[in-house]
Amino acid sequence: MKKAVIVIGLGNTLMSDEGAGVRVVQRLSDFAGEFPLVDFVDAGTGGMSILHLIRGKDKAIFIDCTKMGKEPGDIKKFTPQEIKSIKVLAHQSLHEADFIKIINMAYKLGQCPAEIIIFGIEPQSVKPGCELSKTLADRIDEYADTVRNELSKITSNPQGNK
Amino acid sequence: MSQQMHKNMNINVHHITRVEGHGNIVVNVTNGKIEKLQWQVPEAPRFFEAMVRGHSYQDIQIIVSRICGICSITHSLAATKAVESALGLKVSEQADKIRILMHYSEQLQSHTLHVGYLAAPDFFGAPSVVPLAAKALDAVKTIVRVHRIANEWSDLLAGRTTHPVTLIPGGLTRIPTEKQLRQLQKTLKDTIPDLKVIADVVLSVAGNIPKFERQTEYVSLKQTKPPTYTFYHGGITSTDNGSKVLPVEKWHDVANEYVCEQSTAKWAKWHRDSYAVGALARFNNNGELLSPMGKEAAKMFGLKKGCCNPFMNTVAQLVECFHIVETSIALIDEILTKGLKEEKVTSTAKAGRGAGCVEAPRGILFHEYEFDKKGKCTAADICIPTNQNHANIQKDFEKFVPQIIHEGEDAVRGKLEMLVRSYDPCISCSTHLLEVKFVK
Repeated sequence: MKKAVIVIGLGNTLMSDEGAGVRVVQRLSDFAGEFPLVDFVDAGTGGMSILHLIRGKDKAIFIDCTKMGKEPGDIKKFTPQEIKSIKVLAHQSLHEADFIKIINMAYKLGQCPAEIIIFGIEPQSVKPGCELSKTLADRIDEYADTVRNELSKITSNPQGNK
Repeated sequence: MSQQMHKNMNINVHHITRVEGHGNIVVNVTNGKIEKLQWQVPEAPRFFEAMVRGHSYQDIQIIVSRICGICSITHSLAATKAVESALGLKVSEQADKIRILMHYSEQLQSHTLHVGYLAAPDFFGAPSVVPLAAKALDAVKTIVRVHRIANEWSDLLAGRTTHPVTLIPGGLTRIPTEKQLRQLQKTLKDTIPDLKVIADVVLSVAGNIPKFERQTEYVSLKQTKPPTYTFYHGGITSTDNGSKVLPVEKWHDVANEYVCEQSTAKWAKWHRDSYAVGALARFNNNGELLSPMGKEAAKMFGLKKGCCNPFMNTVAQLVECFHIVETSIALIDEILTKGLKEEKVTSTAKAGRGAGCVEAPRGILFHEYEFDKKGKCTAADICIPTNQNHANIQKDFEKFVPQIIHEGEDAVRGKLEMLVRSYDPCISCSTHLLEVKFVK
């Protein structure tokens, strides 16, 4: 069965809170049975793979570590239209990524889901390390519940969110 | 523009403040004299080696797969081979071939991205692939389609598009079905016309590839038994080494890593002041072993062994795309002719040290680990291809800038950035976090 919604966790789990999105989607995978219309994907630092993951979906939800000037550990829901990326890319390497630009590319190619939601998690610590900072680790269930709450709206509206 | 106007130049492409670990290009010219010309790589230490210490030999490939989102299969394969060498584990012929097929998928993913998303905008004079999509939508859509196929190919064999989960010391956790492999084979056959379209598009703008040459040493894997255009097996060779092949355990004698004042990333040199790794190095060492379509593509672009124009690395990658697809179609036949068998992989902890080497899309990659008798990692050493290219980029700068200095500051900056991109560097993929401000 084609799943209409995708939840994508982004980040590098070797860089502490940078991997928050991956940690949350790994936690959410425990609840996959509750959401038969939803794919849960740990996309890590796959960059442009996002373009292919979201193609054909009605809705894409991203979870990513985001510097947005909030308190460390804060989670905030927003859409691409509500923000402006202030990340500067050097364009020297394939190894830099700004998924807001990838979403723009998907729009240009006519391959973007009708609805995109981002859950940004403000980091406490982005430095080498396999564990989240305690500030974020203590709130991992809360982050998962926040996304599950968003997903519960979808299952009650199986026609999608267009 | 007169020479007089370019007597002074101050280029400082400096990304350190906002983009962690990207290289800086510095050119200072006063009264026509080049006073400073540097490729600086102020990369923060990533401590990956420290992160695997204390972990079980069974977990190493999972951890190192997170080093990089583009070369995650490659890092996992290098690590798995090193662990297998350390523990004396043997891999079945079937698992070996499926791993090679998996590795090809990542080469195609990465090469398509580099040719299409990073290099093509240069050839078309677009600042990046997003505006290029407006300029050459059909070409970009073709590139995206090939990239998608490569991603799905990785997904099938590695269990995920990035950060593979099917690799374990001694083999694989999952063997694809015959039906899946036949479908993949069909998809790859159907991809060939798209590759030809991409090649034609690149050829149409190939006149924009700078005609710069500098003799250097090219280092890559070389496989003699049987002779193969290899990404996975074999030993280390170079264009300065008279076709001799060193065992991968000798990689320290090749890389000779050293610390350089202008860079926190380590640099490398072997027979000369610098060497290059990547598609052009593989081509220069093994070009006669390309598949027929790979050879045809090389001919189309006039790419011949001995080429020392670093900008042609992108063309060599495109040539490799043809080779990879054609070779993979044949490899699937080889795997299926023998009949697929389920495998049960077991391994036992023991003390040992081992090195593993594979070709990343952007050049030769070395991993080495040591384990105690409980199989816990006690030491690790990783040498990535981009660090092996840094000294070569610096030497290219030193020859290239005097040749183009008369073109003015903007042209020099643009061409040096393009030169760096042609090496397809992996400078920093350690952080991908968003930085945003709210506008609504």
